[in-house]
Amino acid sequence: MNSIKFVISMLMLAWANRAAAEDEASSFAGVIGQISSRVDGFFKEYLNGFVELVFFSVPVDGTQFPLIVGWLVLAAIIFTWYFGFIQVRKAKLAIDIVRGKYTDPNSTNEGEVSHFQALATALSGTIGLGNIAGVGVALAIGGPGATFWMVLCGLLGMASKFCECTLGVKYRVVLPSGAVSGGPMYYLRDGMAEIGFAGLGKVLAVGFALMCILGSLGGGNMFQANQAHAMLTYAFGVPAEYGLLTGLVLAGLVFAVISGGMTAISAVTEKIVPWMGVLYVGMSVVVIGANLDQISAAFSAIFSGAFTGAGVAGGFIGALIQGLKRATFSNEAGIGSAAIAHSAVKTKEPVTEGLVALLEPFIDTVIICTMTALVITIAGLNTAPFDGEALTGVTLTAASFTSTADIFKYLLAFAVILFAFSTMISWSYYGLKAWTFLFGEGRGCEMVFKAIFCVFIVIGATIQFGAVIDFSDAAIFAMSIFNIIGLYFLMPIVKRELKMFIAKVDSGAIKKFD
Amino acid sequence: MNEPISCEIKLERTLIQDGPKFLSHKLIVAEQVAYLKPTISAMLFCFVYIVVGFFLISLASYILLHSQKMDLAIFVGGFGIAIFTFGVSLMQPFLKRASFDKNSQLFDNKRDRKVKLEHIISLQINNKMVVRKQALSYYCYELNMLTKHGRRINILNHNNFEQLNSDAGALAAFLQVPLSDYRRKIIL
Repeated sequence: MNSIKFVISMLMLAWANRAAAEDEASSFAGVIGQISSRVDGFFKEYLNGFVELVFFSVPVDGTQFPLIVGWLVLAAIIFTWYFGFIQVRKAKLAIDIVRGKYTDPNSTNEGEVSHFQALATALSGTIGLGNIAGVGVALAIGGPGATFWMVLCGLLGMASKFCECTLGVKYRVVLPSGAVSGGPMYYLRDGMAEIGFAGLGKVLAVGFALMCILGSLGGGNMFQANQAHAMLTYAFGVPAEYGLLTGLVLAGLVFAVISGGMTAISAVTEKIVPWMGVLYVGMSVVVIGANLDQISAAFSAIFSGAFTGAGVAGGFIGALIQGLKRATFSNEAGIGSAAIAHSAVKTKEPVTEGLVALLEPFIDTVIICTMTALVITIAGLNTAPFDGEALTGVTLTAASFTSTADIFKYLLAFAVILFAFSTMISWSYYGLKAWTFLFGEGRGCEMVFKAIFCVFIVIGATIQFGAVIDFSDAAIFAMSIFNIIGLYFLMPIVKRELKMFIAKVDSGAIKKFD
Repeated sequence: MNEPISCEIKLERTLIQDGPKFLSHKLIVAEQVAYLKPTISAMLFCFVYIVVGFFLISLASYILLHSQKMDLAIFVGGFGIAIFTFGVSLMQPFLKRASFDKNSQLFDNKRDRKVKLEHIISLQINNKMVVRKQALSYYCYELNMLTKHGRRINILNHNNFEQLNSDAGALAAFLQVPLSDYRRKIIL
């Protein structure tokens, strides 16, 4: 009798616990939903002005064309012309530098980072959600034709990246703490002072640093966290309102890395992320390989869509805008962020780092973004009208991969989480460099930025896609305003450095090792 | 034919490439024993990973029990186990206390083979720059020891010079060996 009583009481207890747990779960979801909508509302209300200012548009052929997009493309064209199509003429030299043909094999310089390592590390920071989610956005709004403009922007952007990364190394400084710091803040301030525009240089440097902080919180943080959770939602059906949990977990891990100087986790991330790139490219090759018969149709859709803009709001101009925007977001050419990363390399010749960096937009945009675009176009899930109302961003890319093999969504989810994590760490570094430029070094001061950065991870994972992507875009593009003005003033210095380097190579002063 | 092998010991060279950007250990001298005690901040950084990993494992268990989403449970649980294991592996070196024991006359860092205290002939302070592409570069310092057989062994490795210098002085006095400052200007 006692045992029956015991069993009944246990069953009642289990039922009561279950009911309580269900109530708790639904109220939890409600609270998270409320927080999400409030944060989203806040962003729409208070940051929309900033977004509208950065993307100030003028009507072109009946379509609103953002001036900032033209600003970036014009700069890339000018740099391409000014450096004599360097992306074509010096491509072999750049590849030789990466292959170590200009590095003494007997050199015993302690801790020297090879150019190949530098490129691999920089690429691991560049290849990320821009290639996965960004292309998804471009094609969802700009149609297949946006791919053509992305590729073109990638090719032209190679010259912009060469220019800014060369300057990044040339004007880097060693701070009192011993930290090497470089990037647009320094070349705008010191380079401009060198040519007699100290005042303007300071204004540009401060403006860039401010925008870099916002960029690190936007595209380098909220977009990443947001898309990481979107991927979980797509792959596993995790409710969107549970973004808060994703954000908290990511924020905790990022905080442990960026606040502790715990080099082990950075080292692990640096080792894993390039393999994620290999995994992603491998998956793309499998999908493209499995659909070889559709390749010509996909390229046909890309080329015809580029000039007709069929089904795209704004037609050809609409496709062009989306292609250029997403390419810039992905390869960061002209933005100035890459110059910060490349300035830490150990080299005596700034031009060598510029030449190595030149390859990044090619690999990132011309090769990898095109692969993503082909996968999406082949899958046929992205259909007109291209208004972004259906599948978009990472979900469009994931659905396109999954249409070939269901397992791809899990592999993609794994890659997306790690890409998002590593990109957030990279951008926390860029943001911190800008922060210390403005407010100086110091543990307390740096900790404030790190705390803000982690709060924005939670916000990014929580709020809706529209508000996040608008702010992310605006913040990243705003960096280019200040950077490119400075590049125009400083490009003669880069040209002089290039001539000197080429002369040294030609004379044998810089030896080639075969 | 046995030829004498000569080799040069460069005392100014550091022994470890990386190092933490915080104070990881302090030297505690207790009568006949001097040992390295990990700091709370060092343990906390490791603990974050353990907590996050444990949370994810718990979440995976909850998902498995309540929603039957096997794929999500495996995904979250897999990440949780990886992060938890990583946290534990990070913490392990901090739990192994290196000690200089005058009772047993041995130095034991739980890693290398034990060294007789009488074989320790000097201590050196070295500096280095930890350069990372995705983080601010920073100075880091090492306290190393030299044995009479030419072995160099790392004792301390962190970026708080004041504490390291003070610990180095205390250890040199405890072992009654000379301490040399081999810090050099680093040109990048």
